[in-house]
Amino acid sequence: MSSSSTPGVLPLSGRQNTSISTFTRFQRKIEPFLYLAPALASLLLVFGYSLVRLIILSVQRPLQGKATFVGLLNYQAVFRDDIFQQAAKNNLLLLICVPIMVAIALLLAIFLYERIRGWQVYQTTLFLPYLLPITVVGLIFSYIFQLSGVLNEFLIRIGLERFALDWLGSTRLALPTLMFVIVWKEVGFGVVLFLARLMSAEQELFDAAKIDGANWWQLHWHITIPELATVIEFFSIISVITMLSWVFNYVYVMTGGGPGNSTMVTELYIYLTGFRYNQPNLTSAVAVLLLLVTGLFIFLELRLRSESDSYEGVV
Amino acid sequence: MKIHIRFLIVIVLLGSLLASCAQPPAAPTEAPAATQAPAATEAPAATQPPAMTEAPAATEAPTATEAPAEKVKLVIWWWGEQEAPGAQKWLDETTAMYTKEHPNIEFETVLQSTDSLIPAFQAAAAAKQGPDIQYFWGGVWTLENVWTGALVPVDDLIPADERAHYINNFERTYDGKLWGVSWYLSGNPMVFNPSLFTQAGLDPANPPKTWDELKAACGKLNAAGVTPIAGGLKDGWFGGWLFSILGRQPLDSEKDFMSASVGTAKFTDPKFAEWWSRLDELKAANCWNKDINSLDYQQGQDLFVQGKAAMIFGNDTFLKGWADTIGWDNMSVMKVPTYASGQLADDYVVTAQGWGITSWSEYPQEAADFLVYMHTPDRVNAWFKYTGVIPADDRLDTSLIEQPTLKQIYDWDTTVAGPNLENFIPSILDEQANFAGTQLLFSGDKTPQELAENAEAVIQKWREQSPDAVKNFEAWAK
Repeated sequence: MSSSSTPGVLPLSGRQNTSISTFTRFQRKIEPFLYLAPALASLLLVFGYSLVRLIILSVQRPLQGKATFVGLLNYQAVFRDDIFQQAAKNNLLLLICVPIMVAIALLLAIFLYERIRGWQVYQTTLFLPYLLPITVVGLIFSYIFQLSGVLNEFLIRIGLERFALDWLGSTRLALPTLMFVIVWKEVGFGVVLFLARLMSAEQELFDAAKIDGANWWQLHWHITIPELATVIEFFSIISVITMLSWVFNYVYVMTGGGPGNSTMVTELYIYLTGFRYNQPNLTSAVAVLLLLVTGLFIFLELRLRSESDSYEGVV
Repeated sequence: MKIHIRFLIVIVLLGSLLASCAQPPAAPTEAPAATQAPAATEAPAATQPPAMTEAPAATEAPTATEAPAEKVKLVIWWWGEQEAPGAQKWLDETTAMYTKEHPNIEFETVLQSTDSLIPAFQAAAAAKQGPDIQYFWGGVWTLENVWTGALVPVDDLIPADERAHYINNFERTYDGKLWGVSWYLSGNPMVFNPSLFTQAGLDPANPPKTWDELKAACGKLNAAGVTPIAGGLKDGWFGGWLFSILGRQPLDSEKDFMSASVGTAKFTDPKFAEWWSRLDELKAANCWNKDINSLDYQQGQDLFVQGKAAMIFGNDTFLKGWADTIGWDNMSVMKVPTYASGQLADDYVVTAQGWGITSWSEYPQEAADFLVYMHTPDRVNAWFKYTGVIPADDRLDTSLIEQPTLKQIYDWDTTVAGPNLENFIPSILDEQANFAGTQLLFSGDKTPQELAENAEAVIQKWREQSPDAVKNFEAWAK
């Protein structure tokens, strides 16, 4: 639609008409950007400025009271720091939770999809942990896992004293205990995602497979899992990002990074370096590193999504 | 035509957005209050010594009769109710009384949690916006903010004869200036339960005085089925306390630790490392609760209050609260048994919790005047009545201290008080060597020797990472 064809508008001379058309075309091109501009400006202001400031801080150090450019010195210091190495290692170890969460969520979603007796109650119950604030979950499990806590009291009562361990006070057990709590809390999200996708899957596929004589395992291996592939992908990547950069609350509330840094993670390292040790430049360097790693996974997720979208488009 | 109108609307909206983001023009009536504030001239007598009139703000201030007082709002971020219950009531009353006397001054007080106290202030300092008066623990907790320029010295704001009344304020001295005002004293006695002592065949009138006596007492208490000493290390803080209480004994001054921090000595030297072995001895003697690593500091202390342990390395600010729960008869205090003979060995660990005035405050003089008001005899006595905690001011009416246990604390505070070492080391050393180290000792992962080596490694790392902080420490250590 051009202005010349708009009803009620008088016809213009050819030169004027061309000129207005060019202007109108320009308007049309720029208009979407103008609509987007406030949001873009806000994003740039909130994230862009912070990011640039973070990067600048990460290559500076206070020397004789002045912020001085030191290149990659802070990054080198961070990589040499054994506490950072421990934190990064722990974040990587936490990734073990991801396949565990996917497997548990998948199984539970299948059971719920198969309408086992009381499935609606189970559905709500399974999602409930995900809704609880992490601090609440962390505090409750802190009490449960104390050496003289509820779990050990129970184990002692049923005659399993040798399994009554110092779950949070031992350097060997603290991280696995933390992982258990994270899985317990986060798995509900996966269940809901998988179940939602299964609900929208074509029932005929399952019926046909059953008629063809597929057993339970074959049914889910050949139909359910392929049907869930994109959701599993999404949940896995979100969970990886969670393990790398979203576990601060669990650690802070349950162990504080201890005992002896055995549960230190990069987020807590950032917090301690910045707010307890007054080293904002080192903090910034770690934050940039964490952002890069997390960004990589976000990019991967977007890439996979766009690939699967185009695949679905072709199909 | 429609598209032109839409285009115009979008442009207008964008223009409005940009306009609303623009900096509002500075209001000329909001000039810095220090040059206008009449509050100083209205303050009670104690706030008007000659020194105050020498300060630029006070000399330029119009008198109350010359001009109406400008409205002043003092924002106070504080902590203290956590360890001195009753502090909130006292502060509310004190601010209300001050506002009644100075109608132009109002307050906004924000009680911070233990976890948010430092981060919230650091965020405020980075933005140069936030409280006028900020609560600080002593020593490095205050001075790290001095070194970043977040605080102003109070020497020119509070006269010397007033400052002379403040107890234990040396922790806030740096570069020949005083950077804060002490509020109340927080000391670390060893608290014990006389009934449990008697039950184990120990004499409550003669508690252990030496390390060997302490270990022997642990044996007797264990034999009687009583946990000798309770503690909680999970959140780390108690590890810092243990360092401060035990690490001092072979040393003569807090400067020793400051010197080791800047590299003139090593934390592996026997006099710095011995406390790890001594703590390990207590562990080997089964002196501690088995779940020390899975309990927080507070949960560890609670074991004593619940009568489940005979002793704790306590904090005297909690005594009144505990007495309200278990009664004064069920607790008594003793000094920490000694294992060495340094000049710090037999003293009583005390720090003064206090206040600082921020460098961005528009009302530094008014803030200082209020801090002085907090130290008027009436307020000092009220503080003790409400909290049972000794105020950091020698004008306390000592006849108010009726409880023998608190009399003992006051006596130690005023005769054998020694520095809290945790306040004289970089916080990274506290966290990575003391907090983590004590956890590793009790989990059995590290030996005392390895922990001393870890402390040295941490301090070397700090010196490499924070050259400016090292320089500040060097200047402070002199």
